[in-house]
Amino acid sequence: MTRFRNALTALVTNPYLLAAIVVALALGADWMSAGTVHILSFVMISIIFALSINLLTGLAGQISLGHAGLFGMGAYVTGILAKTYGISVVVSVPVGMFAAGLVGYLLSFPAGRVRDVYLAMMTLGFGMIFFEIVREWNDVTGGMMGLSGVPSPTLRTLKPFGVRINEVWFFRAILLVTVLTIWIMRNVTQSRTGRAFFAIHHSEVAAGSLGISRTGTKRLAYVLSGLLAGLAGALYAHLVGYLGPDSFSLNRSIEVLVIAIVGGLGSIAGQVISATIFTFLPETLQVFSEYQFIVYGVILTFSLIVLPRGIAGLLLAPPRFIQPRALREMRKEPRKAEIGEAAKTQPAEAGGVLTVKKLTKNFGGLTALDNVSLELKPGRITALVGPNGSGKSTLVNVISGLYQPSDGRVEFKGQDITGLPDHRIAQAGVVRTFQDPRLVPNFTVRENLLLGAHRLMTHSGFGSALALPRAIHEEAEFLTRIDKVMDLTELTPTADQTIESLPYGYRRLAEVARALVAQPSAILLDEPAAGLSEVEMEHLARIIRRMKDMGLTIMLIDHHMDFLAELVDDVVVLDSGRVIYRGTIEGMRSDRTVISAYLGEEEAVNA
Amino acid sequence: MNIFLSLVLAGVSVGSVYALVALGLNVTFWTTKTLNFGHGSLMMFCAMLLVFFASQGLAMAGAAILSLLIVAVLGMFIERFTVRPALKGNNSMGWVVSTLGFGIVLQGVAAKLFGSQAVAFPSLIFGSDDFITVFGLYVSLQYLLVLGLSIFLVVVLECFLRFTRWGQAVRAVSHDPELGRVNGMPVNAIVIGSFILSALLAGAAGLLVSQIGGTVDPAFGFNLVLFGFVAAVVGGMGSSIGALIGGIALGVLSKLIGGYISSAAEQPVAFAILMLMLALRPNGLFAQAEATKA
Repeated sequence: MTRFRNALTALVTNPYLLAAIVVALALGADWMSAGTVHILSFVMISIIFALSINLLTGLAGQISLGHAGLFGMGAYVTGILAKTYGISVVVSVPVGMFAAGLVGYLLSFPAGRVRDVYLAMMTLGFGMIFFEIVREWNDVTGGMMGLSGVPSPTLRTLKPFGVRINEVWFFRAILLVTVLTIWIMRNVTQSRTGRAFFAIHHSEVAAGSLGISRTGTKRLAYVLSGLLAGLAGALYAHLVGYLGPDSFSLNRSIEVLVIAIVGGLGSIAGQVISATIFTFLPETLQVFSEYQFIVYGVILTFSLIVLPRGIAGLLLAPPRFIQPRALREMRKEPRKAEIGEAAKTQPAEAGGVLTVKKLTKNFGGLTALDNVSLELKPGRITALVGPNGSGKSTLVNVISGLYQPSDGRVEFKGQDITGLPDHRIAQAGVVRTFQDPRLVPNFTVRENLLLGAHRLMTHSGFGSALALPRAIHEEAEFLTRIDKVMDLTELTPTADQTIESLPYGYRRLAEVARALVAQPSAILLDEPAAGLSEVEMEHLARIIRRMKDMGLTIMLIDHHMDFLAELVDDVVVLDSGRVIYRGTIEGMRSDRTVISAYLGEEEAVNA
Repeated sequence: MNIFLSLVLAGVSVGSVYALVALGLNVTFWTTKTLNFGHGSLMMFCAMLLVFFASQGLAMAGAAILSLLIVAVLGMFIERFTVRPALKGNNSMGWVVSTLGFGIVLQGVAAKLFGSQAVAFPSLIFGSDDFITVFGLYVSLQYLLVLGLSIFLVVVLECFLRFTRWGQAVRAVSHDPELGRVNGMPVNAIVIGSFILSALLAGAAGLLVSQIGGTVDPAFGFNLVLFGFVAAVVGGMGSSIGALIGGIALGVLSKLIGGYISSAAEQPVAFAILMLMLALRPNGLFAQAEATKA
C-alpha cells in the first residue's frame, strides 16, 4: 500500500506530467464544447476556494463554517465595481481579492481569541451576517433580486483593455491563475510560514515557546485564506455574470468544507482532486444533484471517522513540509562548521543571567509562588526540585510568559522581560520544553527541529512563498545546522520519521533538540527525563552537559536525584511556592527542612 | 412609552424561545463539552413529524408524543454515531463537523419526505389568537406558554444539578469523565441521557415555536440555534439561569433595535453581540475568569 501510495504521489506531483496536463487543457479548450469549458472554469474556481479553506482549517487548524462570506465578499466587491462603476476586470478582480483579505484580517481579531466550538459558532455567525447584509442591502447588492449584468465572457461583455474575451480565453486565464495559486500554496506549505501554521494548529503554547506569535500567525492565516477565497469569488463573479445572495449562503460554506475534508485537510493534491470530483459530479449525475445536500450531510457526519485524512490520506503519501530544493542544496554542501565550532560561536550569544526577583503568582485564593527569588548563571545547571504541586511548573510558566505574575520581576541579560508574551520571551533567547512533549505529530523529526529555527530565520514570507533563492539558501543553511544538532542528540537515524511513529523517548529528545536548534541563551527544561529509560536518561544527560559546555544558562526540573546528582551545579528547592533551600545537592540531602518537606518526617535514604 | 413596553414584551417572548434553545444546547455541554450543531434540525424534524402524524389522523397528543419519542431516539443516535467516535479523536473539529453533518442530513431527509415548502402547523394547546391583557397590552398565550416552560425548566434543571445524586454525577462527569468512570459512575448512560434530554428539549422547542409561527419548513431552526447559542454564551455556557437571562436580554435588545432602528438589523446585531462576547467575555457576563493549566 505504501509503495502504491508513493508511486501514485510521484505520478500526480510529477512536474512534467502536470505541465503536460495544463498545456493540454489550455490548448484543448478550443476543441471542447462550451459547456465543458464552463465546468472546467468552475473546477478551477473550486480548487482555489478549497485551497483557501485548506489553508485556514487544514494548515492552521482554525475551523471555518462561514467561508462563503469571504468568497462572497470577493464576488460582490468585484461585481459591484465592474457593473456599477464600470471598472475593468484587471482592477476589479484584485480589489475584490484584497477586500476579502481585509475582511479576513478583521475577522481574525475576534476569531483569533477563541477556539473550538466558539470559533465554529463565530464563523457560522459571520457567514450568516454576510448573507443577511447582502440580502437586505438592496441599493448596493441588488438584494434578493441579485446583481445581474456583471461583465462576463459568456455574455461577451468582458473587455479588459478593450479586447473582447470569450470563454475559452477566460478559462485559460483562470487556469494560469490556478496553477500559480497551487504553486504558491505548495511553497507556503513547505516554508517557515506553513510550518508555523501547523505549529499553532497542534499546540499554540509550544509555538509560543519557539518564538512563533500565535496572534500574528493566526492573523496571517486569516488574511491569506481571505485573499484566496476572495480571488475565487472575484473570478466567479466574472464567470457567471450574475450574483444572487443564495449563492453565498450556508450551503456554499458547507460545500467547500466537504470538498476540503474529502480531499484531505492539509494536502494540496487532495484538494485539487476533490474539487474536480465535486464540481463534475452534480453536472454529470442527475441523481447526485438531487440528493446533493443529503450526501454532503452524510459525508460530514462520517468522513472524519471513516476517512479522517480524506482521499489524499487514502491514496497519496503524506505531504512533506520542507522544500525539496532546500534539502538537495543541504546535501550538496560540504559540512562546513563542526559541532565544536558551533560550541565556540555560542558564547557570543549565550551567557545571559536570568534573574527572578520576588516573584509571586496567585490563582484565585491559592498562592502558587510566594516571593520566589533566584538567579541562573551562564554555564551552570540549576536544578529546581520540590514535591508535586510545589510550584515548579508554575515558575517555568511565569518565566516563559505563559502566566502573568501577580507580583515581582523577571530579568534576562539585565532586561526586564516580566509579563511579555511568550513568543517575545522566546525571541529574547529564553526557550523552554514541556512536561509532555508538544511536537507536531505529522511532522518528521527534521521538520520539527526546523520549527525551532523559526525565530532565527531572516527571509521574508514573501520570499519563501515565491521560493526565491535566498529563502531556499537560508533553509538549507539551517538544515545543515539541524543535521549537526541531530548528530549531537543522536537523532540522525530517525530524522525522516514522523513524530507520531516514534516511541516516547525519542519525542522527548526531539523536543530538547528542537529547543537547542532555537539557539537559546537560557533553556528551561521541565522534567525532560520523565518516562525515559536508563539508557535514554544517560543520553539526555550527555546532551545537557554539552549545552553546559556551550555556555547556556540551564534550569532543570526533575525528580530523579541520581540523575540530577551527576549533572547539576546548584539546587533550588521549592515547597508550597516558597524557596526552602538553595545550595549544593550534597547540602540538600542533609538539609532538615528539605527532608521533611519532601519525605515527611522520615529519613531520606535515596529519593 | 407604549411602543417601548410592547417591544420589551415582544422581546421577552422571543427571548424565552432563545432561552429554551439555549437550555437544550447546555445539557450536552454539561456532560461532554459538546454542542449539537444540528439542534435546529431536530427542532424542525420534530415539528415536521407532528404535522405528518396529525395528517395521518393521529390525535394531537399522540402525534406529539410519538414525534418526541422519535427525536429522542435520534438524540441517542447522534451521541452514539457522531459525538462518541469524534471525541475519541481528541479533536474538537470532529464533532462540530459530524453533528452539523447530521443536521444537514435531517434537513435533506425532511425535504425529501415532506417537501421543501413550508407546511401549516396545527394549533397544539393555544391558538394564535388566544391572548390575555397585561397593562392594556395583548400577550399571546403561546408566548406565555414558552416563557412559563422555560422558567419551569430552568428551575427543574438547576434543582436537578444541585440537589440530586444524578445531578452531582453529571457535574462530576462534566469535570472529568475518566475519574467518574473509575469511581463506578455509569458515564456512558449519563452522556446518552444528556443527549436524549437535549433532543427532547429541541423537540419541545420545535413544537412550541412552530405553533407560534404557524408554519414549519425544512430550513427552520438553523438561525434559532445561533440565537440560542448567543443566549447561552451571554449567560455563560452551561448555566441554566444564565441561559434564561441571556435569552431574554438578547430578545429584548434585538426587538428594541428592530423597533427603533430597522428590523433588518436584528440578526446582525445578535451576531455582533456574539462576536463581542466571545472576544471580551467568553465565559459569560456573570462568570469569573477561569485559570487554565498550560
